[in-house]
Amino acid sequence: MFELKPMLSALWRNKVSALLIALQLALTLAIVSNATAIVQDRLTSMARPTGMDVDNIIAITFMPVPKDYDMAGAVRADLDMMRSMPGVVDASVTNQIPVSGSGSASSFYLEPNAQIGDIDGNYYQTDPHFINTLGLNLIAGRNFRDDEMHVIGSNESFIGSVIIVTQQFADAAFPEGDALGKFLYHGSKDNPMEIIGIVERHLGAWPSWSLAGNVVFHPLLVEGNHKRYLVRTEPGQRDAIFKQLEDKLAERDPQRVIHLETLAENLTSTQVSDNIMVKVLSAVMTLLTFIVALGIVGLTIFWINQRAKQIGVRRALGATRANISRYFLVENSIIAGTGLVLGTAGALIINQLMVSEFSQPALPLSMLAVCAILLLTVSLAAALMPAMRAANISPAMATRSV
Amino acid sequence: MIGYYISLAMRSLRGTPILSALMIAAIAVGVGASMTVLTLNYMMSQNALAHKDDVLYAVQLDSWDPNDAYNRGGRGNEMPWQLTYRDAEALLRSDIPTRQVAMHRFGFTVTMEDSEVRPFVAETRVTTRDFFPMFDVPMLYGNIWNKDADTAPVQTVVLSKAINEKLFGGENSVGKTVELNGEPFTVAGVIDYWNPSPKVYDLNNSPFSDSEEIYIPFGLHRKFEIYSWGNTNGWNSPDSGIQGYEGHLLSESVWIQFWVELDNDTQKQEYENLLSGYIRQQKEQGRFQRPLKFALTHPSEWLVLNEVLRDDNRVLGWASLAFLLVCVVNAVALLLAKFLRKAPEAGVRRALGASRNAIFIQHLIESSCIGVLGGLIGIGFALLGLSGIRMLSMGQIDQIASMDWLMMLAAVGLAILASLLAGLYPAWRISRTNPSIYLKTQ
Repeated sequence: MFELKPMLSALWRNKVSALLIALQLALTLAIVSNATAIVQDRLTSMARPTGMDVDNIIAITFMPVPKDYDMAGAVRADLDMMRSMPGVVDASVTNQIPVSGSGSASSFYLEPNAQIGDIDGNYYQTDPHFINTLGLNLIAGRNFRDDEMHVIGSNESFIGSVIIVTQQFADAAFPEGDALGKFLYHGSKDNPMEIIGIVERHLGAWPSWSLAGNVVFHPLLVEGNHKRYLVRTEPGQRDAIFKQLEDKLAERDPQRVIHLETLAENLTSTQVSDNIMVKVLSAVMTLLTFIVALGIVGLTIFWINQRAKQIGVRRALGATRANISRYFLVENSIIAGTGLVLGTAGALIINQLMVSEFSQPALPLSMLAVCAILLLTVSLAAALMPAMRAANISPAMATRSV
Repeated sequence: MIGYYISLAMRSLRGTPILSALMIAAIAVGVGASMTVLTLNYMMSQNALAHKDDVLYAVQLDSWDPNDAYNRGGRGNEMPWQLTYRDAEALLRSDIPTRQVAMHRFGFTVTMEDSEVRPFVAETRVTTRDFFPMFDVPMLYGNIWNKDADTAPVQTVVLSKAINEKLFGGENSVGKTVELNGEPFTVAGVIDYWNPSPKVYDLNNSPFSDSEEIYIPFGLHRKFEIYSWGNTNGWNSPDSGIQGYEGHLLSESVWIQFWVELDNDTQKQEYENLLSGYIRQQKEQGRFQRPLKFALTHPSEWLVLNEVLRDDNRVLGWASLAFLLVCVVNAVALLLAKFLRKAPEAGVRRALGASRNAIFIQHLIESSCIGVLGGLIGIGFALLGLSGIRMLSMGQIDQIASMDWLMMLAAVGLAILASLLAGLYPAWRISRTNPSIYLKTQ
């Protein structure tokens, strides 16, 4: 009933054009499916929860001008001032800004002297206010106490006796889930550090690091030549507080250089390369599909014009409008089907290369199938309009000479 | 003849406006997308030191953990990218290299007495004086500091052009004083605008960040207790008993970038002997417990080793070329349709004596006209694409996301190539048509 035989012989006469359409669809499927796999992978990694109240946090870096600067005193005064500002939830001092792409990492050991159980963790030197400031969720144990806080010079080496870790890090170090109250050792030092608390999640400094989320917190203030603060504001107050902070900090002590940024900015800028990948590939996919669809429209119109006379003859011999439309749609499906079968093979071959040469994600078959069905739909939709027009060709065409 | 063919082509394009527009759009979009990505990849693959590539070497020594090879995300050659301070200091004593540079990134607060300029933090490079001649840094005013400042604490500074403009309004500031971290520094010289991208001499942080704003001598470490603002990596904590900053300088942490200039093979040979001799001597003192290994790498190879052009960029490059390929196939199909529709015209020209070659060339010229138009519009799309990338990258790669005239030329070239490729088969097909068929039906 689909008039397959005459259709195939008509296709054979136009084999080059038909093949070109099939080829376009094949290439498109190969590109689009692999691009989709990459885009999905990047979107998943960008959507990873940070564990922090990113949108309401301001990060401040300051560097004093004089050489003999009372860093500990300045930090105390700044924090007191900031915590008392209306609209500020809490503020804390830190050695590095989370999700900024710069941070410190170290190895932690289950036994002293750096031999057994080497777990890498991103670490922060902060104060008892960090949980509240970052909006972390303490799921076991307790926070640091004020008397556990230590201040040391930039060249002193000091290991405190308590740490707080993320759930992910706790599970990596103690897979049985009994990390609370256990001890860890830092580098080759043999002072034990007790895990006194576990926070649910903190993505750390490098969201794309393979161990991102392994984070350890120390209650420590190291007096370097610069220091950083994190300030969390009430929802919606961030930008207003941002402006006030700049002036208030400069006013409290003008002998320093102060730089403010939002945590959200930091997060976006560490995700720039993922974001570019997602946007560029999405643009390529959309344009590609569009171009292929336009090509199908153009070519179908051309064929119909070429065969206007034959269509007229068929109509005159009793073919209904539906018959004519269906003819072109079935023809299109045959071409598209061929292209998509070729494209499936191409997609799988390209994906092998993507995985082995360019360390990109594998392409799941289900995703490939979805892309193929989508392209088939696009191809049919593109052929639909010209096919309907073909059905309008009047049987009188059969009687005209050209 | 060509002029006539071009006018024929334009007439023919106007004859089928929708089909022509579709083809031009296909080529333009394909060229635009691929030139956007290829421009980025091309700019990321630049080597600012190409003219000295065969005499410059980045130095690496394998001083790493005896139990564990150096590894940073699977990149590189399993050796630390940088040297320890003590190794850099030792190597600097050699007089074999024509020039040698030990350096790293830092930051100073800058203040000026009796000045309107508010205190700010300046990106700083702490380096030996050979940095300037080795990397061909152009001087605007004054000179570099003397050799003794590389080892003794001399408070002198070389400013970038931009900082000199900010602090001194662009005038010759040699001999004047600026305060860095509250201490007076004398301006020795000012360099002209210089900003190689990728920043081949220090790829530790972003390879596309700007070059530093001020430069200070390598002899100031102890006085200011300078730590690196780039990347510091260690594998053991110092237990030599030496505490404080001196302990950091003696530690196994790597944080100093080291480059040498070696003019010929004998000099290189001598330097290699020096390095292996140094490592052997250090082994006797219990350091360098890994197998004896060092590397001297040319800038071009250094850029590859550091994967400045990342896998993602390569994937985008291939994706955009595949995109262009689809656009070309698309144009082939449309051109074929268009040329076949005009077959009667070609039939008449053949009957009037045009050779097959003439028909072939006429149609190829018609397709290259589509290419030129597509290419010109494609440049527009590429500029649009690049400004999009600049926006997405939040200023991180501003300098490289721009087209030079070479890339614009390449865009038009690519478009013409693509359209010629697209036109080849359709033009051949039309030149084979038998004129008699068309003459009969007319």
